[in-house]
Amino acid sequence: MQKRNKYTEIEDFLSDESFQQWVLSRVDENGWEEWTLESRQRAKLVEDARLMLLAMKIPENELTKSDIHRALQDTWLKIREKENQKNVKTLKLNFFRKRFLTGIAATLVIGLMSAWFYNNHFKTENKIVTYKELIDENSEGLVEQTNNSNKPQIITLSDGSSVLLQPNSKLSYPKIFTGNERKVYLSGEGFFEISKNPKKPFFVYANEIVTKVVGTSFRVKAYSDQPDVEILVRTGKVKVKSNELISKSDEEEIVLLPNQALRFLRNDMKFNKITNITQDPVLVQNVGNIEQLSFEFNDIPVSQIFETIEQAYLVDIDYPENKLKECHLTTSLSDQPLTEKLKIVCKSIGNNTSFEMNGNQIIITSEGCN
Amino acid sequence: MKTRILPANLIDDNTLWNDLILGDEKSFSLLFERYYGDLVSYGNSLSPYAEKVQDCVQDVFTDIWVYRSSLQSSVVVKAYLLSSVRKRIARLFERDHIFRKTASTDDIAFLLEFSVENDLLDDDYATKEKVSYLNKLLNELPARQKEALYLRYHQALSVEQIAEMLDVNYQSASNLLHRGLLTLRKEWKGSFALITLLFSSSL
Repeated sequence: MQKRNKYTEIEDFLSDESFQQWVLSRVDENGWEEWTLESRQRAKLVEDARLMLLAMKIPENELTKSDIHRALQDTWLKIREKENQKNVKTLKLNFFRKRFLTGIAATLVIGLMSAWFYNNHFKTENKIVTYKELIDENSEGLVEQTNNSNKPQIITLSDGSSVLLQPNSKLSYPKIFTGNERKVYLSGEGFFEISKNPKKPFFVYANEIVTKVVGTSFRVKAYSDQPDVEILVRTGKVKVKSNELISKSDEEEIVLLPNQALRFLRNDMKFNKITNITQDPVLVQNVGNIEQLSFEFNDIPVSQIFETIEQAYLVDIDYPENKLKECHLTTSLSDQPLTEKLKIVCKSIGNNTSFEMNGNQIIITSEGCN
Repeated sequence: MKTRILPANLIDDNTLWNDLILGDEKSFSLLFERYYGDLVSYGNSLSPYAEKVQDCVQDVFTDIWVYRSSLQSSVVVKAYLLSSVRKRIARLFERDHIFRKTASTDDIAFLLEFSVENDLLDDDYATKEKVSYLNKLLNELPARQKEALYLRYHQALSVEQIAEMLDVNYQSASNLLHRGLLTLRKEWKGSFALITLLFSSSL
């Protein structure tokens, strides 16, 4: 990624796509602004390259998506026409031989049909992507956590994100996230609260679906033995698309906003977006504790806040009750993963407060609030 | 310049190309959608007749599908498409000027004028001055140098591919590009100092 450190000529910049994007569309995904300011010599070079690009604009392409679509259809018509012409020619040539060929043609038709049938059949079988396949695809060493109990279980990932894993569900994740992406694999149901990091998008792979987020909270339900996959968004924005394993094409991503949901019908490979979740009996019935509880606190005793967290994440919080008796907080903890929530609460109570987490057990040490 | 942001999991051109050769209609359509716009805008820079250009581009794709079985599998798809469009348009010229002898692609003039970004909002006046001056210099370059610059920086072709398209050897293509920028820089440096001077004194 840092090949730009070796750039010495204007030409190097001109042909860099991300540089072009920065200058012309003002999309600075790779931190050009900051990078430029690192050295004076560099700033000069960048400025020259920028001016050059600005002076080399070409008139915007006026074709719209539908123009292109129409052109594509026209082209298919042309193709059919040309193919017919070709066929007519060969047919005329073969007029006398045609009868002899009929037999062969019939065999071919039968052959093609069975090939088509086999292909279709084969493809439907291939459409189902299971958790195991997904795990096998991944080469980084993964940790797998299975919830065999009858209560939801909290998992904290290396980036501070938390996942509330429902009974009979499994989550696989790298011990430490490396690289530019955070990928986890789910079988079953989990409620995700992702720590914000726009540079490292977070991906949840679940059956045939890939959910991409930057920082947000949402629920994914993808049991391998159930006919559909559900995604429900609580805060932030989430993008969903089907896994590359089943569709090669770059199909459109579906964007979900808070309180929107999506159901993927695995047999039909169809997405159904649900904009009003209160009207969907299945989704309403399934709302977990954490999604019902509010994390907006206005002058609320700390003990009450801890109780809410205990209920939401099914954890035990041990704290010095006497010392914190008089402490009240006003804070908004929605849209924060568990560790973030605890950090904020501890910091708000005072500098001498900290927490320690051990599985489901959380211990707060404090000398009281300021 | 292309401003669209491509989805992350784009299937690469060559995968699509090879699937197309095997008869996959979806891959054909995807390639069509991916490059139609670029090809039309390139075509428009070679011919002033916009409808004919679209026809030409569609004919290029038609032939690709109809004669797919004779296509090479290892090509740089974009360069191949651009060069096919160029040849098509040259052939169009040939047909239209049937009594003239101009038939080679060399005779196509690159007509495109580089333009200036209109919304240099957060830039100061001096920057705007500089940009429009540079733009003027760029447009005064010989057509072939302009075309080389366009292919290099707008269509992201490599020097080798440009050489192939313009039917010259590598060195000449590299010269075309280099000479363009060199002239520019020389003129620019000189007058730049002047502009800067004028400005600093007037402030």
